[in-house]
Amino acid sequence: MVREISDRFKEKFPSIEPKEIPYEQRGYHLFIEAEKNNIVDIAGFFRNEGFYLADLCCVDYVDYLELVYFFNNHNKLCRIKVTVKTDPDKPSAPTISHIYNMAHWYEREIHEFFGVFFEGHPFMVYLFLHDGIDHYPLRKKTVPVPEWDRQILNSFRPEEQEDGFFLNLGPQHPSTHGVLRVVVKMNGEYMLSAEPVLGYLHRMHEKMAENRTYQQFLPNAARMDYLGALNFNLGYVATVEKLCGIEAPERAQYIRTITCELNRISSHLLWFGAFVADLGGLTPFLYTFDDRENILDILEATAGSRLTYSYFRFGGLYNDLDENFVDAVKQFITRLRSRFSMYENLVTGNVIFINRVKNIGVMDKGYPIRYGCSGPVIRSTGIPFDIRRHEPYAVYDRIDFRIPTGTTGDNMDRYLVRIQEMEISLDIIEKALKDLPAGPYKAEKIPKKLKPPKGDIYHTIESPRGELGVYIVSDESDVPYRMRWRVPSYSNLMTFPELARGSLIADAIATLGSYDLVIPEIDR
Amino acid sequence: MCDLAAIINIIGKETARLILGLIGVLIIVVVNALVLTWVERKVSGHMQKRIGPKEVGPYGLIQPFADGLKLLGKELLTPANVDKPLYYLAPVIVFIPVLVSFIVIPFDGFLQVKDINVGILVILAFSSLSVLSILIAGWGSNNKYSLIGATRSVAQNIAYEIPLLLSLLPVAFMANSLSLRDIVEVQRQGWFVWRWQFFAFLIYFIAATAETNRTPFDLPEAESELVAGFHTEYSGMRFALFFLAEYTNIFIASAIATTFFLGGYLGPVLPGIVWFFIKTYFLVFVIMWFRWTFPRVRFDQLLNFSWKILIPVAFANLILTGGILKL
Repeated sequence: MVREISDRFKEKFPSIEPKEIPYEQRGYHLFIEAEKNNIVDIAGFFRNEGFYLADLCCVDYVDYLELVYFFNNHNKLCRIKVTVKTDPDKPSAPTISHIYNMAHWYEREIHEFFGVFFEGHPFMVYLFLHDGIDHYPLRKKTVPVPEWDRQILNSFRPEEQEDGFFLNLGPQHPSTHGVLRVVVKMNGEYMLSAEPVLGYLHRMHEKMAENRTYQQFLPNAARMDYLGALNFNLGYVATVEKLCGIEAPERAQYIRTITCELNRISSHLLWFGAFVADLGGLTPFLYTFDDRENILDILEATAGSRLTYSYFRFGGLYNDLDENFVDAVKQFITRLRSRFSMYENLVTGNVIFINRVKNIGVMDKGYPIRYGCSGPVIRSTGIPFDIRRHEPYAVYDRIDFRIPTGTTGDNMDRYLVRIQEMEISLDIIEKALKDLPAGPYKAEKIPKKLKPPKGDIYHTIESPRGELGVYIVSDESDVPYRMRWRVPSYSNLMTFPELARGSLIADAIATLGSYDLVIPEIDR
Repeated sequence: MCDLAAIINIIGKETARLILGLIGVLIIVVVNALVLTWVERKVSGHMQKRIGPKEVGPYGLIQPFADGLKLLGKELLTPANVDKPLYYLAPVIVFIPVLVSFIVIPFDGFLQVKDINVGILVILAFSSLSVLSILIAGWGSNNKYSLIGATRSVAQNIAYEIPLLLSLLPVAFMANSLSLRDIVEVQRQGWFVWRWQFFAFLIYFIAATAETNRTPFDLPEAESELVAGFHTEYSGMRFALFFLAEYTNIFIASAIATTFFLGGYLGPVLPGIVWFFIKTYFLVFVIMWFRWTFPRVRFDQLLNFSWKILIPVAFANLILTGGILKL
């Protein structure tokens, strides 16, 4: 696959030489150094080849700014890194948002954090920051923001109110699950357009990472996605381990798999309750919380905290399993299995519920490529894309599991995929518990202060919401030079404006609920 | 005692009965709302694997009083840009139709404030007034969520008033009267719900759930979509009045169902009023049961259900009943 793409690329762009990179070390197969004037053509080439834009970020090397594009394929693993250098004094690049819709938000993000101006971008206003910002936050040197560059989204434009009215869904609204704000233009009950406004929970984790050592950043990872904290924890730890060449012992890998799957189930359970609550059924919420409580208790006994776990450490775990862990998990598995039929009767088979979610918010197969959505959202469209299968980490390569997919990509499919995923997670846990080896839970001789070798790395894991990517650039010091988080809810939410256009407000809220958004993760 | 007799003499027996009745009704309204809030909490609690209130008083019985006191003590916030007269008026208006409906309901053979020979009409006419207060509240609040909630409420009430009326009429045909007491008395031969009118009962009950804005038809205050719908901007005692009216509406809807289909106060051994309350509260419980089981329907589905299913079926039932009675 990699060779084929490389050859076809050389045919199309003879002047550029794609370099093959050892995937095990760097997390990507091909590295292409592009120029500003041909990045649009390159993006078009990858779009035609069926690649999606996994991530788009920027790194400030002081002498120059480097835009980093990550492409990946849903069917066959082939990660490609494309870089474009730009002048730090007057940074600019052509937009690729007309080729990949998801670049739309990523470019806005880079614009406000680095001051890179994207030529041809239709909507270059701030996404996260407020208009009082005085310098670009992620630049290494202090670069003041010119007055004309401070644009935030203003929802009240009277000239546009003629054929409808604006409604601010959020930031304090019962169904936005946190502090998401969506500026909606409505005509009666119908949504004419929807524009999410982010940043109400923005804490600049990426900048924080540049100011603390690798160890000190550990707790931050869990605070991005408070529902899938262990998965984020693992995403960070595994990336740094890969960067430093640390190998965690086998027992630790098994325990990581088990606890991450438990965490995934607890996240899905919470989503399940909240989704039905969005549709007006308040009772399942309490039932799923009752089940979820068991997981929290089990993980608390082992990891020490109930929500924002920081259980994984570089080279292993913080502590070995609690002595009751195995029994408690086995008990939980039998308990949850017996509960699925009740949920089926109460919710899945309910006529009102079916009418509310069936054929609502339909995503065709073009969405994943244009928006780069991942997790249950992409699987609902029928593409069996799961990082656990495509780029196995921990011990997922040793465990056989099914990837549930939907057919139409509507809200019902997203719902069913998640329900099945919980059942499959139970199977994975059961198998992993059977093979759980004895031995040390922590690698020996891990230095107190990690100083990874120079270079960069992109590593992904499957969080409960989808593809979580961590991109770290190291300059051999004990703090990361740049840390970039590619978060799944962000790219999933991007599809919302298109899906919501023209739908009833009630349907749009059902769709919003079906994404399983975690706002702190989007805002970072 | 003498004075009371003298007063009654002066104002006339009928008026005195009306005044006393209204006082009684007011007491019932408040006590009923207090009881129902407690019942709803307990019902929802047990349905959701919780135990509901238990700290304030035995079994949390004093909880509604504590809540009521809290709401009374709260500051009445008036948002800046509301339409003041309408905003103040709405919580008051919401109560009038509720009170009037109580006048004609026979709690027992002798316990009825006034037996009017067009009792059904009084109830139907006044119950459709309650939508007015919702519209006023939604419009006066000057809030988009409130307005959407209010417009939904109007469309919903218009759609569900018709099946409500159409489901009560066959019973009036069979009883040969519009007086509520007569309708109950006719049922000494058997409750109407078992005598041909089972479908009418079902239609009435669904329509009544929609009329009282309860889940699965609680669109005017759909929490996840419209925050709190028409009463988003109301707080303190003004909010409490909407709350009170909602529970009273549920009670009335159930009381009418009891009167028309379940034989009202009729029943063996126990006194009539006890039977009346047992039946009514059972129906109230069923409505609560709906709420804690079902998700919410969508707005267009709600209207389609009324116009395309309930109304044709109710019409067919009406024509069939009329035809059979004529034969």
